[in-house]
Amino acid sequence: MGANVQKNKIDVKKIDRIIKGYDKSEESLLAILQDFQRAFQYVPEEGMKRLSRAMGVPESKIYAMGTFYKALSLKPRGKHTCKVCMGTACHLKGAGQILETIERELKVKRNSTTEDGLFTVESVNCVGACAMAPVVVVDESYAGHVRQSKVMDILDKYK
Amino acid sequence: MKAITSFEQLEGYRERVKAAQKKDLPSVLICFGTGCQANGAVAVAEAFREEIERKGLKVDVNVGFKTTGCHGYCENGPLVVLRPKDVLYLKVKPKDVPEIVEKSLVGSEIIEKLVYKDVNTGESVAQYHEIPFYKYQKRIALRNIGNVDPRSIDDYLLCDGYKGLARALTMRPEDIVSEVEKSGLRGRGGGGFPTGTKWRSCRAVDSDVRYVMCNGDEGDPGAFMDRSIMEGDPHSVIEGMIIGGYAVGAKQGYIYVRDEYPLAVKNLQAALADARAMGFLGDKILGSDFSFDIRISRGGGAFVCGESSALMRSLEGKVGEPRAKYIRSVEKGLYDKPSVLNNVETWNNIPVIIRNGADWYASFGTRGSKGTKVFSLVGKVNNTGLVEVPMGISIRELVEKIGGGVLNGKKFKAVQTGGPSGGCIPDSEADLPVDFDSLTQAGSMMGSGGIIVMDENTCMVDVAKYFIGFLVEESCGKCTPCRDGLPRMHRILSDITEGRGREEDIETLTELCDVLTCAALCGLGSSAANPVLSTVRYFRDEYEAHIRDGKCPAGVCKSLITYSIDAAACTGCTLCAKKCPQQCITGERKGAHVIDASACIKCGVCKDVCNFDAVRVE
Amino acid sequence: MEKITIIIDGKQVEAVKDQPVLMAARENGIDIPALCHHPELESSGGSCRVCLVEAVQGGRSRIVTSCNYPVRAGLEVNTSTDQVMKIRKGVLELLLCRVPDSEVVRGLASKYGIDEPRFFKDEGENNRYKCIACSLCTQVCEDVVGVSAISMQNRGVEKAPGTPFHKDSQACIGCGACAYACPTGAISMKDSKGVRTIWGRKFKMAACSVCGKPYIPQAQVDWIVKTTGKDRAFFDKCPDHR
Repeated sequence: MGANVQKNKIDVKKIDRIIKGYDKSEESLLAILQDFQRAFQYVPEEGMKRLSRAMGVPESKIYAMGTFYKALSLKPRGKHTCKVCMGTACHLKGAGQILETIERELKVKRNSTTEDGLFTVESVNCVGACAMAPVVVVDESYAGHVRQSKVMDILDKYK
Repeated sequence: MKAITSFEQLEGYRERVKAAQKKDLPSVLICFGTGCQANGAVAVAEAFREEIERKGLKVDVNVGFKTTGCHGYCENGPLVVLRPKDVLYLKVKPKDVPEIVEKSLVGSEIIEKLVYKDVNTGESVAQYHEIPFYKYQKRIALRNIGNVDPRSIDDYLLCDGYKGLARALTMRPEDIVSEVEKSGLRGRGGGGFPTGTKWRSCRAVDSDVRYVMCNGDEGDPGAFMDRSIMEGDPHSVIEGMIIGGYAVGAKQGYIYVRDEYPLAVKNLQAALADARAMGFLGDKILGSDFSFDIRISRGGGAFVCGESSALMRSLEGKVGEPRAKYIRSVEKGLYDKPSVLNNVETWNNIPVIIRNGADWYASFGTRGSKGTKVFSLVGKVNNTGLVEVPMGISIRELVEKIGGGVLNGKKFKAVQTGGPSGGCIPDSEADLPVDFDSLTQAGSMMGSGGIIVMDENTCMVDVAKYFIGFLVEESCGKCTPCRDGLPRMHRILSDITEGRGREEDIETLTELCDVLTCAALCGLGSSAANPVLSTVRYFRDEYEAHIRDGKCPAGVCKSLITYSIDAAACTGCTLCAKKCPQQCITGERKGAHVIDASACIKCGVCKDVCNFDAVRVE
Repeated sequence: MEKITIIIDGKQVEAVKDQPVLMAARENGIDIPALCHHPELESSGGSCRVCLVEAVQGGRSRIVTSCNYPVRAGLEVNTSTDQVMKIRKGVLELLLCRVPDSEVVRGLASKYGIDEPRFFKDEGENNRYKCIACSLCTQVCEDVVGVSAISMQNRGVEKAPGTPFHKDSQACIGCGACAYACPTGAISMKDSKGVRTIWGRKFKMAACSVCGKPYIPQAQVDWIVKTTGKDRAFFDKCPDHR
């Protein structure tokens, strides 16, 4: 976790609005947590607590979900999320070296955030764009046929 | 839109849509699959819209224009198809658009520079269906993808959509099950369990409530056909599920989609809303007594949720752990009710089977594996993408005829099938027919249909380590063999690839494989041995080369290789020296360069940037 | 309860239909080692994989966990074939890698001839040092006590029970059922000077009006009174003096 990451100020109204948009059913829990993730770049503790109260589901169960599902992050993420696909096709075409390059250039380890809070770098298990391997996804934007020597040009656009 | 309440109304509506269609209008179809969008298809579509307007043309009056799902040939996107001539343009850029509109849409010229050129013969092919990648395909599951706008239910109806449902509702539910049984359809998600048998078992259990579910948690790395189907032809999945719901007696269906597939979620949601508005979902569907609806649930990024009992726990809003019980989900599945869970591609086949009959479907494929299968042909192969072929085609045909052979003329080494539950099949077995049983006999499995081509530069020990590493991260941690066994296997494989391998390692790995296979709780663990066992079986010499000689024959394992520059090939362009993060490459401009091996971190940047193939890895 | 006859290790034994094979074996004096199964908890079992046996049914033989494999007519069970012993030994070796400090696991492993595992050992951390992640503790907390103060968190090797947010669980009543259920003694619970410490939280104990011994956390009394309507006065005395 970078030292300068601004902890988003958590807007409880936003939390409650998200919860209200769903049925009061355990089936909605994961979807709500995912909406928290999208709204805040992570799943805030306050969100889980309010969700527990609103749904009548123990905090321990919601926290267990938060720690189990990879799509959810309990720590604030950087401004941009850079996912390096580690699917089989990407692996064979050098995804490992691409990830190492990013780690080296941004001075960050995989699955953590840069010191300035700009990027969270993650390795992900196949984004399903194997025909364009190797693939790097920054936020929602896919880049295919990424070359090790060119990968930083992609990230530089977000700086 | 007014809900349709009878078969006559449905056909009447279909006729009206057909009549409104201007036949043979010169049309442009732009692939809007995730691959093409990543390659810039959105800008291309925008350019077409502008150019069409600039020319004073009107969409649906003078020209046709639509964005479609994935054509599968993602490698060459953005793809643009011109109808009625059936011309395919590859790698289209916005700047090409005015010329395409002028020459090929308004005119009927073919633009040579945009058409396919055979990598091996250099021959150009403009006709979509004459391109080797498409020529040998038989598209049943992918029947509509690329032809329909996934956001348009009318488009789907024009392709005989919901005809299967209409027919099904005139049949007795048990006759539908028999029809599916007779078709020989086996589950497309991995195990290949006969779909009809599954449905029959579910029907046989006494219960008021039953569920049908669609597994869209496509997690096998290297496979993306389900994504393409959900994104490009969502109604086919929905129609299949409605038929399935009617056949087994379910009122509620669920689609569980990977969170990583936002476009699939969006298109499915839109399709569900349209299907509801038209009366294909909801109360008394098409005027029958059958009521049914479908909910979408987004996965949370856990590979294990592709396992049926874990998926159901996740749907219920719990941690997606598999259930430690010897009771099948057709008896006690979602909420402990009898449930049918099928994969996306399985559901998508149902409407055509009901529409065209079981005999028609069973006429494709082999004795034990009927029909066609979609494969994602990826890795070190020239034409990568989604292909659909009859079951029983050989691996070699897939790789050579459709795939156009191995990339850069390298030597074909193996294919990996079945994701982390599958294995590697070597060149020597490449004439093997691709069907459920042959692949299992060869120590791999069909899985969801990922076919990953490997060449001489692929290290098989590294591949085994890759898959075990994947599974270490994805193990849910509930049972001992998987949770504690996989990290030990990974350590041994790491030792081998890092030059610390010991003579007894292969034996120890095999023992651990045995513990996982026999003792793991769910399919993730019990099939985890396959990547190791299959590579040991076919590439034992490669393991031994690492262990005994400290060499990685494929030149992959960092600890066992060195980088050097071939003085004869080096032109002294200095690019590698500039890019080297260690600054350990020296040499005069126009003179041969040298790598200081003591400082080299083997990052591979020099090899990547070298335009003269002068960097050697040994 | 339908009684049927099955064969365990070549002997014909009577068993109740659908009961776990493990229970049927034990009732007939046949010992099968098991860690994560609790006879009172229907949801327990299937996690440690120690109780593996060979089940032959309908001509098909496979290795199953006896703690949740149901007794059905025509079943034949073999508890100690060469293969069963080999795989069970493999499982125990892996468990020993995870919890080298657990006396229970060490004792069991040594019965199978393993004193030192061949593989690297996990570093103990938090409750991990003796915990085999079998989830009996969280199941008791949810199904028997009904408070769900703890849950199984994370995944893979990191899987372990814990309180939400790694903070004091407000739902915990200090009853200690989790610690009693734990097969490896991994949950630390200390009673000292009228205070119980468990999961990092301190609970004031109510004392017996006769012997003066603090014997039950006040929070547990409150919980029982609230959920069952039992008379509070009942808890004035400890079980020995009621």
